[in-house]
Amino acid sequence: MLRRQLSSLSGRINSIPMAPPDKILGLTEQFNADKNDNKTNLTVGIYKDNWGQVTTMPSVARAQAMLDQSFEMNTDLSYLPIKGCPDFRENVLRFLYRESCPQGVELLNQERISFVQTLSGTGALAVASKFLSLFMSHTVWFPNPSWPNHANVFQINGFKNINHYTYYKDGQLDVDGWISDLEKAAKSTNDSFPPCIVLHACCHNPTGLDPTLEQWKRIMDKIHELKMIPIIDMAYQGLDTGDVYKDAYLLRLSLDESRYQWSNGLFLCQSFAKNMGLYGERVGSLSVVTSRGAEEKRSVDSQLKKIVRGMYSSPPGYGSRVANIVLSNPHLKNLWFQDVENIAKRLQSVKAKMAERLNWDSLQDPTRQHGMFLYTGLNASEVNTLREDSSIYLVQDGRLSLSGLNDSNIDYVCDALRKLEK
Amino acid sequence: MSKTIFNNVALLPPDALFNIKQRMSQDSRKMKVDLGIGAYRDDSGKPWVLPSVREAEKLIQEDPDYNHEYLNITGLTSLTDPAAMVLLGQDSLALKEGRTVSVQSLSGTGALHMAASFYSTTCKDKLVYLSDPTWANHKSIFEGKGLKTATYPYWNAASKSLDLEGYLNAIKTAPQGSIFVLHACAHNPTGLDPNEEQWATILKAIVEKEHMVLFDSAYQGFASGNLNKDAFAVRLGLELLADVTPVIICQSFAKNVGMYGERAGCFHLVLPHQDEFVKMADVKAAIQSQLALITRSELSTPPAYGAKIVAQVLNKPELTKQWHADMVTMSSRIIKMRHLLRDALVSLKTPGNWDHIVDQTGMFSYTGLSAEMVQRLEKEHAVYMASSGRASIAGLNSGNVEHVAKAINEVVNYFGTSKL
Repeated sequence: MLRRQLSSLSGRINSIPMAPPDKILGLTEQFNADKNDNKTNLTVGIYKDNWGQVTTMPSVARAQAMLDQSFEMNTDLSYLPIKGCPDFRENVLRFLYRESCPQGVELLNQERISFVQTLSGTGALAVASKFLSLFMSHTVWFPNPSWPNHANVFQINGFKNINHYTYYKDGQLDVDGWISDLEKAAKSTNDSFPPCIVLHACCHNPTGLDPTLEQWKRIMDKIHELKMIPIIDMAYQGLDTGDVYKDAYLLRLSLDESRYQWSNGLFLCQSFAKNMGLYGERVGSLSVVTSRGAEEKRSVDSQLKKIVRGMYSSPPGYGSRVANIVLSNPHLKNLWFQDVENIAKRLQSVKAKMAERLNWDSLQDPTRQHGMFLYTGLNASEVNTLREDSSIYLVQDGRLSLSGLNDSNIDYVCDALRKLEK
Repeated sequence: MSKTIFNNVALLPPDALFNIKQRMSQDSRKMKVDLGIGAYRDDSGKPWVLPSVREAEKLIQEDPDYNHEYLNITGLTSLTDPAAMVLLGQDSLALKEGRTVSVQSLSGTGALHMAASFYSTTCKDKLVYLSDPTWANHKSIFEGKGLKTATYPYWNAASKSLDLEGYLNAIKTAPQGSIFVLHACAHNPTGLDPNEEQWATILKAIVEKEHMVLFDSAYQGFASGNLNKDAFAVRLGLELLADVTPVIICQSFAKNVGMYGERAGCFHLVLPHQDEFVKMADVKAAIQSQLALITRSELSTPPAYGAKIVAQVLNKPELTKQWHADMVTMSSRIIKMRHLLRDALVSLKTPGNWDHIVDQTGMFSYTGLSAEMVQRLEKEHAVYMASSGRASIAGLNSGNVEHVAKAINEVVNYFGTSKL
């Protein structure tokens, strides 16, 4: 056969540009190849214990053992329904809208919450943004800075206008700048579709700076006044204070119906990746709190199902079965609360130990930053120096994952950080 | 800008097959048969966990290093590497020459969705040709990514056989370089596959027009019990297209490993030979980076558990051997049920020819029963199937096949023979 000319697609396939590597997970790949014995990975938001190990939380390990040993629970590997496992849905709805946010009971009774099990937080954001771009909005606002993947998710799912509101200035939260950005944009637009705004429920990623409740009231009042659609990204529930319920304060405020009526709904993207340590199993949920009753919810349900069906048919089962056992067994649930508290305590103690070793502003007030990360304020070239000279890996924006530090490496890392100051 | 746009969200009709389940649960009749399900059942009508999977689960549970850390964005290479081998074969030239890019996907649907995303960023103007009929989700997956779809004739309802002439004609008249979605084996919903000779004719016609091929491989090993036999079309396609166009293969482990709900699968892209001045490694790296971006934007990283189980099955020789036996167990039970049903219909002297039930392969049989017959089957006999007449053979077992045959016999006679 004559050697054929490559078809037009072959030609086109050769001209595909390199997509930029992922800013966070790409570094792990580089880290794995690093030969330095002292190498320290402080990039990804995976919790490690004081021995540098990623371990399964005791509550989750128990749940797994129950699942593994129970012949009954483990005989059917059939597809989950498109919207996910019904038991998981019941238990997560109860956890979120009865326990974390008690006024949600009313919403459940009025059948106003549309719910799908998702591939953790990213999956929830993907389904939400696809739905919103199909029917309601093409403009979204993220904090500056934000989790770098936020923009990817909304862009690939149809959002045309990606904006960032002021969030961080000179090591502090800038609420005035934030509010004035939103006001200015509202004045200058003639878009008939409402814009969306992504809010980090707690433990802002990457800065660790969260508004106080009073500041949140000002912010949410403004968002409500400007008829924006709130999308709450709740990835770290429990890792701030150690109390999963306490950390749901933004959800409670937002769903206070004496204060706010979200005429275009409120979207909650929730993940068990961090607070149950189920990262790779991809367990989470999207709920859409609709403005009116059951009829609206049914329409939303049907569209969310269509989106999921076209993306991946049905969510993976294993992780949700484990999470479901933790949430439905009172003993394991209490144990889980304890596990989350222990993690939060260790994160705080790592910060305290760093403060003993470094004379940094961001460390002097241990309550200023929240969650798994320390936003060091180091610039890209300092981050590069750390990586090249000491094999210490931080995210390019200076985000440091606290749990990667432990008794055996904290001196090494803090010494290297001190050297940068010179 | 204060519009309540939720008002415009339309209510979609519920999934047809989901409704079957609901209606069945409300049916109080003693003998009821579910031929709507798309999952394997054993001879007692129960879901079956493959012994090879049980063993793999045990290995993982006993592994002290098991944890829930994120996989890489492109997935577990201890899954994707052997998965490519299973599909393309030990002697695959494409593998030897390093022309493949493989990433983990959320089973078959996730791989198809990834293909649709990838096409839509690289060649959005191409028409995507789907068989008529095809799996209902195909159309929405491609159209959901903004691609235009068309159909090619496949099923000749009168003769219950392949409409090869129509098929070839569609290949010839399609714009040069279109995308053809082909079912690698066990065509869903008809269960009818081209024979080897017909495959060669079809693929050569595709080569002539330099079309691109996407193989949807959801039933490898499940259809015949033999992985190589069920990969015939894929491997022939790769051979014939090796100098022509890239081939995408969407590989699901839902059916052949029986882990439907764990969403294990792979997306493979096989590049044709390139001119000397093209650096294959660069092209592959760019493609892989785009695929990673798609995954990162939709799920961050693929789910771990199912991938780890399948990786065990594919990497541990004794488990692989057990898995091969498990596929024979499933496929031979299905084939046996096909024969029992056909033979029962023949002995009942049910009007019409029923040989197509045994000629078809995979989970389903396109029975040729009309929508009104299907309705009567449900109403009078508590036998449930999709209104298209697609019956899941996995729902048959030695306890109910006789009942189903009698029920079909009754409805066929009730409506007369003209429709068959």
